[in-house]
Amino acid sequence: MLKFIGRRLIQMTFLFFLFLTLVFFLLESQPGDITSQFLDPNIPAQVRQLIIERLGLDGSVWNRWWNYITNFVTGNLGVSFSQYPRSVFDVIVERIPRTLFLFTFATLLAYFIGFTLGKRVAWKRGGFSEHAVTIGGVLLYTVFYPWFAILMILLFGSYLDIFPINGFIDPGFWRNAPFTGNEVFSQLILSLAIAAFIVSATAILARRQEERRTARLIRAVGYPLSVIVLVGFWVIRSEMRPYALDIVHHSILPIITLALIAFAGVMLLTRSSMLETLREDYILTARAKGVPEKDIRDRHAARNALLPVVTSFVLGLAFIIGGGVVTETVFSWPGMGALLLNATVIEDVPVATGALAFIGVLALLGHLIVDILYAVLDPRIRIAGRE
Amino acid sequence: MTDTRARTAGEETPSPMPGDEAPLLEVKNLVMNYEIKTGMVSAVEDVSFAVPKGRSLGLVGESGCGKTSIALTLMQLLPNNARILGGEVVLDGQNLLELGEEEMRKRRWDDIAMVFQGAMNSWNPVYTVGDQIREAIYLHWEPRPSYDEAMAKISELYELVGLNPGMIERYPHEYSGGMKQRAVIAMALSCSPKLIIADEPTTALDVIVQEQILEELRKVQHEFGMSVIYISHDIAVIAEITDLIGVMYAGKVVELGSTREIFANPRHPYTWLILSSTPSITGPRRQLAPLEGEPPNLLDPPPACRFHPRCPFATDICHEREPPLEEIKPGHWAACWHHEEVPTELVTESR
Repeated sequence: MLKFIGRRLIQMTFLFFLFLTLVFFLLESQPGDITSQFLDPNIPAQVRQLIIERLGLDGSVWNRWWNYITNFVTGNLGVSFSQYPRSVFDVIVERIPRTLFLFTFATLLAYFIGFTLGKRVAWKRGGFSEHAVTIGGVLLYTVFYPWFAILMILLFGSYLDIFPINGFIDPGFWRNAPFTGNEVFSQLILSLAIAAFIVSATAILARRQEERRTARLIRAVGYPLSVIVLVGFWVIRSEMRPYALDIVHHSILPIITLALIAFAGVMLLTRSSMLETLREDYILTARAKGVPEKDIRDRHAARNALLPVVTSFVLGLAFIIGGGVVTETVFSWPGMGALLLNATVIEDVPVATGALAFIGVLALLGHLIVDILYAVLDPRIRIAGRE
Repeated sequence: MTDTRARTAGEETPSPMPGDEAPLLEVKNLVMNYEIKTGMVSAVEDVSFAVPKGRSLGLVGESGCGKTSIALTLMQLLPNNARILGGEVVLDGQNLLELGEEEMRKRRWDDIAMVFQGAMNSWNPVYTVGDQIREAIYLHWEPRPSYDEAMAKISELYELVGLNPGMIERYPHEYSGGMKQRAVIAMALSCSPKLIIADEPTTALDVIVQEQILEELRKVQHEFGMSVIYISHDIAVIAEITDLIGVMYAGKVVELGSTREIFANPRHPYTWLILSSTPSITGPRRQLAPLEGEPPNLLDPPPACRFHPRCPFATDICHEREPPLEEIKPGHWAACWHHEEVPTELVTESR
């Protein structure tokens, strides 16, 4: 397994530099250079020439490319034009957790609901509920996403007025806050990460138990424990709590909207994958063995139907990144997608390059996680990899 | 359909054994159809037979003659469009068709286990073989055994079917085809069922492995004293391992008797033609006669005797009245108006 991950990491590094080169040349190929945009057109030509030389813009493209790559490796991504003098790296490090927060939750929600619903729909083939769910799924899958997001804002933010219509925080509420948004947000992520760790450790431990009673005991302790830890964390940090809740409140609508869009594809795929699995001989064997219907559905059929759904996550990554730009723009969520769009519009080239590079890193990491997950889920791959 | 039925429920079930061996399983006048858009497919029509305790019965016939449908009916694992229209399946004095779904679920594997057609795909690829055998043990043993007890049993069964117990915790894809089939047999034995249904147990295997698996099956049957129903299109395979044979044609049992008797003295033209088309290694050298024609479409089966369009002995009565499954000799049953005319010599090709 480690060897497999190591090999993938080497491949990914190579791929990443290829991607970075592509991004660099893409932005380089824009007409004009940045001096024509940011310098006063009235300054003398010699001064302009001097500035160009000082910025290193006089060398060949290859020189500049080499400079960029070497700087990138040392963590120097340049300075933002629009947020001068902040470094691009700082800007991105501030934005990444916000995007990850949004997308991790939306993706988990989408896959959880999509998979659960998909397998049930396939199991109870025919009938009104299958048609209703399938039609709903196809509608969500094909809907024009920005329009749908605006509709959601209109419904929940305006008519029902349950959620704020946009933004990351409520500025009025935070005016005299003793913390910055980033401080509170990092604590929020920390507490959620701890809870997530407890939940996954419980699930893994319980799965490994042969005796059902022990497994049940582990679950009975582990799952409530994660909630207790989460609540306890915010009891201790009670002075931060209202601010954290404000961020959570702002995140709910974009998460739901994104999850609804992503869930439809997952559900439809699970449904068809499940229908195929149900025709397999081992399902008949399980029936002949007298396995209860619910176990046949969950343990035998759904477990196998899950494999193509996990693969689809890789294919869905591009959608998630593209959707990220739209979501963050519509909901004014200050994450990587909004940063990239904004930087592109105002020609903040260092930020645009940096944002693209980090989106690339995220995409590659997503691939790696799916590869590992796939090996964990499918013994045929896991064991072939061992040999 | 029903008016032509030869016997009514309550009469003696055709048993291929002449003596009074107690039957473990009795199938009486079973009728099962598949409902499809264009009508009803008459897959099993008025089938009756009995399997004595500790004996093996082979069901032979061409593809689509209802062999597997009978097996699935016994287990009640039929697809949703199947309709059991009549009959009884009596196991140890109890009619399984009257059981509720939950009761039947508990009886599966505990009473009747099954070795499926194509054991290659009988294993769920994401669990170890041990996981899957333990699942059956945990479900059916009373009281639920511990992990160690279950493993002890599986190791014992692995030794019995000629597998290395070190393979228990391996995944199905690490097994060869023959090993998978052996493991399926081990799993079938794990709850000591009264009856095992082996549906084409060796079809996907090469001849040498076939032979070994059949030997294994025969061995465990004698060791455990269970009854086995073998299902195969290959009468040679059936002849090798069964005590009794039921020949099926187009959803009906047309001849029933001891294996020896059927081979020595086939009384139904269909059996006679099948044997004529099968080469014998030990018997005299002869031309093989292929069986002409093809099985009827069960959506609209021929009236009366379903074999009459292909039968060399057919006369008017054959498409007017259905021949009953009659005991023509103690323990030998045949459903043919002309069973006396079927020659003892096998046919040789005239060309």
